[in-house]
Amino acid sequence: MTTAQRPSADDPRILLDQEAGVFEPVPPYPPRTEREAEFYTLGDGQLFLNMGPQHPSTHGVLRVVLKIDGENVVDLDPVLGYLHRGVEKLAENADYHQVISQVDPLEYVSSLFNEWGAVLSFEKLLDVEVPRRAEYIRVLSAELNRIASHALFMGWMALDLGGLTPILWSFIERDEIVEMLASLTGQRMLFNYFRIGGVNGDLNHDFMSRLGNWMSRASEQIEANQGLLNENEIFVRRMRGLGPIDTKTALRMCFTGPNLRATGVPFDIRRAHPYSVYPELDFDIPTRVEGDCLARYLLRVDEVKQSLRIIDQCLHQMPDGPVIAKLPRLLRPRPGRAYSAVESPRGQYATYVVSDGTDQPFRMRIHDPSYIHLQSVGLLMQGNLIADTMAIMASLDPIMGGVDK
Amino acid sequence: MDRRFKARLEAQFGDRLSGPVRQRHDQTEIRIRPGDVVPVMTELHDNPIFRFEFLADLAGVDTGEVMQAVYHLWSDTTPDWLRVIADGLSRDDPRVPSVTFLWPGAEWMEREAYDMFGMIFEGNRDLRRIYMPPEYTSFPLRKDFTLADDAARSPGGGFRHMEQTHVPANTPSTVRRLPGSRQLPSVK
Repeated sequence: MTTAQRPSADDPRILLDQEAGVFEPVPPYPPRTEREAEFYTLGDGQLFLNMGPQHPSTHGVLRVVLKIDGENVVDLDPVLGYLHRGVEKLAENADYHQVISQVDPLEYVSSLFNEWGAVLSFEKLLDVEVPRRAEYIRVLSAELNRIASHALFMGWMALDLGGLTPILWSFIERDEIVEMLASLTGQRMLFNYFRIGGVNGDLNHDFMSRLGNWMSRASEQIEANQGLLNENEIFVRRMRGLGPIDTKTALRMCFTGPNLRATGVPFDIRRAHPYSVYPELDFDIPTRVEGDCLARYLLRVDEVKQSLRIIDQCLHQMPDGPVIAKLPRLLRPRPGRAYSAVESPRGQYATYVVSDGTDQPFRMRIHDPSYIHLQSVGLLMQGNLIADTMAIMASLDPIMGGVDK
Repeated sequence: MDRRFKARLEAQFGDRLSGPVRQRHDQTEIRIRPGDVVPVMTELHDNPIFRFEFLADLAGVDTGEVMQAVYHLWSDTTPDWLRVIADGLSRDDPRVPSVTFLWPGAEWMEREAYDMFGMIFEGNRDLRRIYMPPEYTSFPLRKDFTLADDAARSPGGGFRHMEQTHVPANTPSTVRRLPGSRQLPSVK
């Protein structure tokens, strides 16, 4: 049995020939596709600029090859995979309970939504009825997580435009929520809190007192933080009209979440395909029509206010009862398929599970909104300045942990 | 479950469906042949009684016997998710038409399915690897991909086992299924 010798990335001889830390923008092999050939052919006066993988504004480890003409970006080619961990493969080799902790580090600023997507599809596969109190606790903690995620987005957005102060303010705000969730779940970032059929542990006194304390001043605090940016003339004039996208293109590019709603489509999974107890809760879906960076930013500001409304209702309507359904340790769902989607702070986070009757998922597909939005950066960028790359990328709010799975 | 939606699908695509329409919870599932992907998806997207303008997800599945391209669609005409399974792609040469003519946003989802399963989407103009490095030669989510801890028992054990995508065709059958090696699972 013979196998042809091929050069491989893990071959030590090849690594020795390369200079460490130098990224050539142009790949050392002939183009493999039509698009690659088109991109890596330079026109008159154009040149390539390599950005990343260690760039402070890429929100993780992302490399982007820019094709520039003077100060203008003509086209760009994102290079992914620096953070790829193969979570889908890991899930195929873990049992259903273990998968929840595997999906946690995907979108690490909104981990509860990753867990929610997974448990929702497993519950459909197993026909599990979740206790109502557990559903309310899920909504309550997830909306808190949404506020924390949006707070961080606003700080990063300003930081990518060169403003240092807002990130410090938003970390103060986020830290309060994260400490609160830590007292509920035991973890600050990767909560591992949702379980198949409910949640791990009821609300406790520490959490409730922190939450009550925070809720009494949350609106004013958030309002004050946003005044720093919303009334800043430099910020607003820089963002207005930057990187616009229209409704039709956004739908064709499979946009979801705040990025789609900023173009005027009131599409929110919580209303379009309701799950959990969202049909019982009263909240609005904010939309904007401009579709530019400012609209995407302001839409998230409005969403935070709606999340506060939801939290308030959850606290008033919270029923008594158990927080987890009684299930066996070893779960063997009958063969079948289940698809479920949740509205994460970035858009539709979906999980598709195929079961073959064993205690491990046969196939688990994770659909991440950051991944979908990142592919449109090139579309939004064309004709803009190099410095606007970071602004447009930040306004789409990608998290590389989710993009690279 | 939306029973009327099932009737509408059966009336519209009667001869194109390669299996019964299945419904469970909030999902409706239809199966088509890979050659019918373009007409069926165009009909679902353009016909005003369906209006599936939103492609929610595109996934590859390796059942152990065949490959499948699985599309999830959302529309305001039905409360269900519609799952379209392009069934019966050959595992040696999985080919299916691309849907980037309807949703250019499917481009990266198809690139991912190519990267993980080696599925060729005809019509996608940027079908190259996206997560794995360009020099990589195997497809990690296929069911015959051998994990490192199974490597000692694999047919290609001892020599670049991570890059053995297929058991070579001329391998004797006694070597193909070593005692204790993982049998290929399969689902319908």
